[in-house]
Amino acid sequence: MPETELERMPTMAETTVEPLAALLAADVVAVHLGSEEGAHGLEISILAEPAPEQLRSQCVDLRALLRERLASLAADERLGVMALLDEVAAAEPGDAVSLSASRALVREALRDPLPTSVVERDEPQGLHFDSVHALAEDAFYVRGWARDGQAPLRRLTVVSPEGSRVELLPGIYREPRPDVDSFYEEPARTGAEGTGFLGYCETGSPSLLSTGWILETENALGVGREFPGPQVSRDLLAARAAVLSDLHKERDWETPLMDHVVPAVSRIQRRLEERAEIEETWDFGEVPGNPETSVVVPLYGRIDFLEHQLAQFVHDPELRESELIYVLDSPELASALRASAGQLFELYGVPFRVVVLAENGGYSVANNRGASVATGRRLLLLNSDVLPAAPGWLGRMSAFYAEQDSIGALGPKLLFEDDTLQHAGIKFQRPPGGGAWENEHYFKGLHRDLPAANVTRRVPAVSGACLMIDRELFAELDGLRGMYVQGDYEDTDLCLRLRQQGRETWYLPEVELYHLEGQSYALENRTALSRYNVWLHTRLWDEEIAAAMAETELPAGSS
Amino acid sequence: MTGKPKILYVSHNHPTIRPGGAEAYAYELYRAVRDGGEFEPLFLARTGPPVSIASRYHEGTLLTGVNEDPNQYFFYTDTLEYDWLNGTPRGKAALIKYLREFLEAQRPDVVHLQHTLFFGYDLLRELRNTLGDGVPIVYTLHEFLPICHRNGQLVRTTTEKPCREESPRRCHECFPEVSPQEFFMRKRFIQSHMSLVDRFIAPSAFLRDRFVDWGLPADKVVTEEYGRLPVAPAETRDRRKRNRLVFIGQLSYFKGVNVLLQAMKRLQEDEVDVHLSVYGANLELQPDDFRGEFAELLEATKKTVTFEGEFNHDDLPTIMADADWVVVPSVWWENSPLVIQEAGQHGRPVIASDIGGMAEKVHDGVSGLHFRAADPASLAETISRAVGTRKLWDELRARIEPPYAMDEHVRSLTRQYKELLASRSDEELVTPPAPATEIESVRYA
Repeated sequence: MPETELERMPTMAETTVEPLAALLAADVVAVHLGSEEGAHGLEISILAEPAPEQLRSQCVDLRALLRERLASLAADERLGVMALLDEVAAAEPGDAVSLSASRALVREALRDPLPTSVVERDEPQGLHFDSVHALAEDAFYVRGWARDGQAPLRRLTVVSPEGSRVELLPGIYREPRPDVDSFYEEPARTGAEGTGFLGYCETGSPSLLSTGWILETENALGVGREFPGPQVSRDLLAARAAVLSDLHKERDWETPLMDHVVPAVSRIQRRLEERAEIEETWDFGEVPGNPETSVVVPLYGRIDFLEHQLAQFVHDPELRESELIYVLDSPELASALRASAGQLFELYGVPFRVVVLAENGGYSVANNRGASVATGRRLLLLNSDVLPAAPGWLGRMSAFYAEQDSIGALGPKLLFEDDTLQHAGIKFQRPPGGGAWENEHYFKGLHRDLPAANVTRRVPAVSGACLMIDRELFAELDGLRGMYVQGDYEDTDLCLRLRQQGRETWYLPEVELYHLEGQSYALENRTALSRYNVWLHTRLWDEEIAAAMAETELPAGSS
Repeated sequence: MTGKPKILYVSHNHPTIRPGGAEAYAYELYRAVRDGGEFEPLFLARTGPPVSIASRYHEGTLLTGVNEDPNQYFFYTDTLEYDWLNGTPRGKAALIKYLREFLEAQRPDVVHLQHTLFFGYDLLRELRNTLGDGVPIVYTLHEFLPICHRNGQLVRTTTEKPCREESPRRCHECFPEVSPQEFFMRKRFIQSHMSLVDRFIAPSAFLRDRFVDWGLPADKVVTEEYGRLPVAPAETRDRRKRNRLVFIGQLSYFKGVNVLLQAMKRLQEDEVDVHLSVYGANLELQPDDFRGEFAELLEATKKTVTFEGEFNHDDLPTIMADADWVVVPSVWWENSPLVIQEAGQHGRPVIASDIGGMAEKVHDGVSGLHFRAADPASLAETISRAVGTRKLWDELRARIEPPYAMDEHVRSLTRQYKELLASRSDEELVTPPAPATEIESVRYA
């Protein structure tokens, strides 16, 4: 703010100045004067570090300021003040909660309320704000409906309690609401005309308050209505379930609904990942440093699998030479694991490390956190429900990996408990009649001795249940991507990213392990999850997958 | 200290606490080796719930002494946190602390396990950890627990038919609440530990074959019958008719006592002149429907069947003296039923089911008779033939072979222990072989 403007402000004795009040006092002048620069110069430093000697204001009280100085501003100027606060608050870490509370006060003082919507058959305008899921401080998933029997909607706006305004038109996803249409005795509206709306939106600045959301509409004739929003839901897993269940409304991965679901789920996944920091690391025995291979095993729920794996690893000297890292992705089991892991080390003498995550973060983050503490030349990502068929498997995978110049990922043969094939490499397949690419395991359910499954070869992808990759390469790719939900498609995504870099994926049938699949996860909404993962995967990789499949040949003797 | 190499016998129970076939044998073996063998034996018997009320005797140790014998110990383990599926304690302190301390103090040269039940299969891992590779581990297979989650019964829960084809899928059919994958992991877990054993001893060829089918290496499993201490044969009364039968065993479905009562009912209806005495315990532990059927059948056969209830093992000669035939009608395979050996010692021919260990130990038409397992009509017909055929009883009785003697068994085991010690170590045994001595008859309370 120019020096001259500061001088024009009345001086007062030095006292505690509420940052928001000081900001408003300073900038309102600028807004009032119509100065373009005034809106930006000073605010950030004020909020970050109040310097009262520069900010002499007659107002120390936000309420007084609002009443005396701001309430009298013209409507567009008041909107300007709130827009300004939105920008400022976005850049300001500060005391977020008190800032939010102050801004809510500002919003209520400066806002021109519209008539509240009344849902009646004779009323042309009707709207309802069903739900707000907070995905992050500035990311929300909203749902409701809006109907106008008089004129087309020109504006469909949600306003956060702090005064951030987000215009939902035209990008919001419209869904049919036959219940509403029939209430108004109108024909059912579908597609882009749907009465309902739902989707992802971002506020200009963080919104922390749980009550006070508003939905506003305005039609082409300038008639406006508003409706109060419900309490904000902040449970991330509930939000994810709600968002994913919306996919049932569509049949095709190319739907515009994905433009809302993908960013929403990605934000949730990122939040879950961020929370899953490494809280503790315990070493049992002398875990070898800088070995040939670091084995990373996420433990989720079934910590008893540790005992089963150790009871097999104890027969294999190579496992003692590798860096065995268990990542506990169920923090609630930390004390149980601590007690049992020490005893199991005493019994089996196989050294291992346990990395405890602060929160459950999902399959990809568990692997990534484990990889982050690994020192081996290569990583072997291993599921906790995988048991080797015989000792020597790790060394053979390592030796094969070392021989291939352009290798990226390597996967062995995985078996079901009845000696049939669980995994002999992964291919991509579209369902008959088209649609998204689905991951299919070659020869699933056929006997382990099937000749075609015993050919060492390049494949489009391999399973992450047992996958070897160079550690530095894995780090360059930032590991597995957490945008997929609950342990599915991260592995093929990794292989496709490797492929993009000219790296090959190989299948090595001479190494056999059992994958006792399906015990560690109880998936509540499996269809919704897999539909999301499949659609996201195809959205990201359609062309790469087509190219990978075009160049993959089946081994001789199979079809 | 005797200067002899030490052998540690581990049993899941001690016969002074609760009688049972395997533990009785284990204890007799311990005493036979002590009294006449080349090894100094130690006897470590597990105790604790459910066979004893206490789960601990002293603070800071799981051991207590037995009968002032410096070579016998009780070892208390708890079953509250026992994983019955995988046969392992969830907490390992009993193994990695208390058992380890015992092993370090005793340093046995050979370990012969009679059971790992209530210790956990990982007892084997702890033995190797603490005693090293030089100490041979011998393991007598008394039953089928490692193979079959249904208490080793090898009888399907779905059909109650005997089973000889274990697989994750079939086991899951018997226990729908346990996934096939968990059954697979169970097997891999148990086999991981059993791979540390140098020699398995199977008291019947049938049992050996089951374990070899299941995956134990054939060259590690030898068949050797339980050794029996000599006993004075029961008195044989001179009677014109050989029509007195006896059933001695647990009163459970698997032991086939109801099949026998059904056969008796038919014989009574056909007015065959025959009598049965039923000796057995643990009726109160059986399911209601079994007990109901048992009671009904007893009522229907009250003219020809006497229910004697529990019996004292010391009374066996008297019981045998009253009987001509011993009936072993089990509907499961059995291993090597002690009652068949006991019948043999007392010169009583056995009428047995034609399956498993019973068919193996009783030779049909030679030293006893077979009938179709679980088939009351076949049993009735066989009994009818047995009591109605002149001289059959005498012929069969004449051909009964004497049971395998304990002293011979001890010599055989001693030879095997030494063989295993030699193959495990370059050093020869320092102790010269002692002359074989006659082993006195021992009895336990």
